[in-house]
Amino acid sequence: MTCPSCGASVAAGARFCESCGAQLGQPDVVPAPVTAVDDHPLGDAPISAPTRKPASSLPDPPPAGRRPCVDCGGEVGPDLYCLKCGTKAPSERDHFSEQPASWVAGVCDKGVGKARNEDSMALLAGAEPGSRAVLVVMDGVSNSVDSDVASLAGARAAREVLRMPLPAGMGTTEGRQAAGAKVLADAAAAANTAIIAVTDPDSTNPASATFSAAVLEGRKVSWANIGDSRTYWLPDAGTPVQLSVDDSVAQEQMAGGMSREAAETGPQAHAITKWLGRDSENFVPTGGTLELTESGWLLACSDGLWNYCSSPEAMAEQVRATGSSDPAAVANALVAYANACGGHDNITAALARVDVAVDQTGLGHNDQTPTPAESGTPGGEPTDG
Amino acid sequence: MAEFTAAVYQNEFLADGGTDVNAIVTITCKGAGTAGQSGSGAAGEIIIVDTSGSMGPATMAAAKDAAQAAVAEIVDGTWFAVIAGADRAMLAYPQVASGPGMIRMDERARADASAAIGRFVGSGGTAISTWLDLAGQLFNSVPEATQRHVLLLTDGENRERPGRLDEAIQRATGYFQADCRGAGTDWQVAEIRRISQALLGTVDIIPRPDQMKAQFQEIMRAAMSRGVADASLRVWTPQGSQVLFVRQVSPTVEDLTNRRTPVNPLTGDYPTGAWADESRDYHVAIRVPAKAIGQEQLAARVQLALGDDVVTQALVKATWSNNSELTAKIDRQVAHYTGQAELADMIQEGLAAKAAGDEATATTKLGRAVQLAAETGNDEATSKLKKVVDVENEKEGTVRLKRAVEKADEMALDTASTKTTRIRKEPS
Repeated sequence: MTCPSCGASVAAGARFCESCGAQLGQPDVVPAPVTAVDDHPLGDAPISAPTRKPASSLPDPPPAGRRPCVDCGGEVGPDLYCLKCGTKAPSERDHFSEQPASWVAGVCDKGVGKARNEDSMALLAGAEPGSRAVLVVMDGVSNSVDSDVASLAGARAAREVLRMPLPAGMGTTEGRQAAGAKVLADAAAAANTAIIAVTDPDSTNPASATFSAAVLEGRKVSWANIGDSRTYWLPDAGTPVQLSVDDSVAQEQMAGGMSREAAETGPQAHAITKWLGRDSENFVPTGGTLELTESGWLLACSDGLWNYCSSPEAMAEQVRATGSSDPAAVANALVAYANACGGHDNITAALARVDVAVDQTGLGHNDQTPTPAESGTPGGEPTDG
Repeated sequence: MAEFTAAVYQNEFLADGGTDVNAIVTITCKGAGTAGQSGSGAAGEIIIVDTSGSMGPATMAAAKDAAQAAVAEIVDGTWFAVIAGADRAMLAYPQVASGPGMIRMDERARADASAAIGRFVGSGGTAISTWLDLAGQLFNSVPEATQRHVLLLTDGENRERPGRLDEAIQRATGYFQADCRGAGTDWQVAEIRRISQALLGTVDIIPRPDQMKAQFQEIMRAAMSRGVADASLRVWTPQGSQVLFVRQVSPTVEDLTNRRTPVNPLTGDYPTGAWADESRDYHVAIRVPAKAIGQEQLAARVQLALGDDVVTQALVKATWSNNSELTAKIDRQVAHYTGQAELADMIQEGLAAKAAGDEATATTKLGRAVQLAAETGNDEATSKLKKVVDVENEKEGTVRLKRAVEKADEMALDTASTKTTRIRKEPS
């Protein structure tokens, strides 16, 4: 064995070279395939690259007619720049919101440091609060071509798979979980298919993206994950948890005993080990289910948000700091917070508000979906008695 | 119907705090048609031939021959006239005393005009202001001729009270275009260039009489191929910004910065004259207030306007980035034309210093010109420079002034100083 630095021979297993002092043999952490290292705010993206943009994969076009400039109030021209100050009108793809029901909303934003928004989301919700919600968040890998188009196509394809209630399986808890996991895996596969469909067949750098989906049905939440977008459960009072487990070098280092802070600020903090796309080697998600017993927020987000508040406690603190029970307001506030912290990456925050009625009779949980009115005014209604 | 397209070449990325945006906008015209026949008004052509006493017999004979060849190129239906210029300008053809001073071209007019040119006799001095003024009056007598072009030939220095010529140039500016040629070496390049630059035309030297006919034919053919009468480069810049300069950089360097006509507080028009099937490059430099990293904004809309109609548009952008790999790059086109503009300045300033006897300055400036011509691959400039200086080291730009220089070579270098070369466009 020789020192790679000075060429002197060194003893097997030596940690430092006797001649030059160079460090030898790294610790036995197997470096995972590195695909997405975000050194630069603009990544390695070329200044301009050919794009293939099927119209169906883009958000609906902005309404025609006069649009005011967000900066100076002037009129936005047909070329989407202000006719007075030249500020670029944000494109629909760069910043969009969804709110399928009063209790579910999300915001997907370009951030400050990126040239385009490669994050995406697709949400579903029943009108009845607490009934059923689907949150899909994907984060396009910035050094692949057209990942902005691909991630949105993927999220929408996954949402379609999750439109129907998750199956009950064979009736047992295990059977139910397995059947639910299968549908979530199908959703990931559908997203993968959609990404490949919009990828240029000749691309040497095919689009790729992370995948994070959460399905809330009554009090049961099921999630699935590929890459480093996340799902959190943030109860109003109890202990917040990060439900999903990242497929990332940082996560592997944490599993190996490194602290969250060290792992997530290391040079490979953003290197993911699994992803969707044509060059994906494994797109079976990891996931799980949880029965919720208290009120709180179900959050799906991209690393553009959790970069600034990674631990469940920090995330819960940010949500609490918004002081709102309106999911749209909370999502906007979280995006604004990440942008205020620097907004180095695209930011997506999608939330479902869960209100579990405080069961005053102590007779167990009510299977009927609680309403905000019930939980919001415990014992407040006068009775005839 | 003419079709215009625009392409922009720039590095839109600015470093934190950066304010200056440079871009090359290429505007291309296709399907221009023929002068006066594309519905934008009739075309008018006036040929002005110097008939002062200084015109020697050989030059005069060649000038007559060349003017007749030019008349032959004017397409039927074009309004035209011929002026004989000396201390005063004389309307040589059509020979009318009142009414329209121009006539529509046909077989008979062509023959009569040639005969009139054949009767030119050299006598008297050179008062170019009167030539330009008469041309203006003639055009004015035919309102329907809205595309106005003059071909002017002189062989001597203007002999008028200082300022007169400039006043006449000012009266003609924006009214007609003029391509100017100097025969022999007794005329002043700077003087004639003032006319051609203001009147959006070209200037060149015709050193030998036998070259005159071909040049006149070429100029007139080019004029006849300009089917788009008059176009403006319209530049919008955002509120709070400043236009540092607007210059045409190809096929020649022409600074247009001071020729702005305001359209509204944020928009100005710069004259470009008539267009044939051709491509021209413009360099615009805009100073905008710096924005935060990640912000993008429009620094300029560069358009080509025919009257009030905008026929093409290019967008010049600014995006602030903290990625120095992006912000440090200078666009190839911008770099190339920045060099070409400096080359033109160095040649003109170097020759002016040489004429004033300041050999040290002349040597430095012409040396820098040699260096720039080599760097930007302007072979024409390099070969013309080598007739005026001995090059010691092209890369370093060290030269010695040649002791014996042909006057014509020096003037040819001067007139060609604004001609630029193009570089291959980057794949878009």
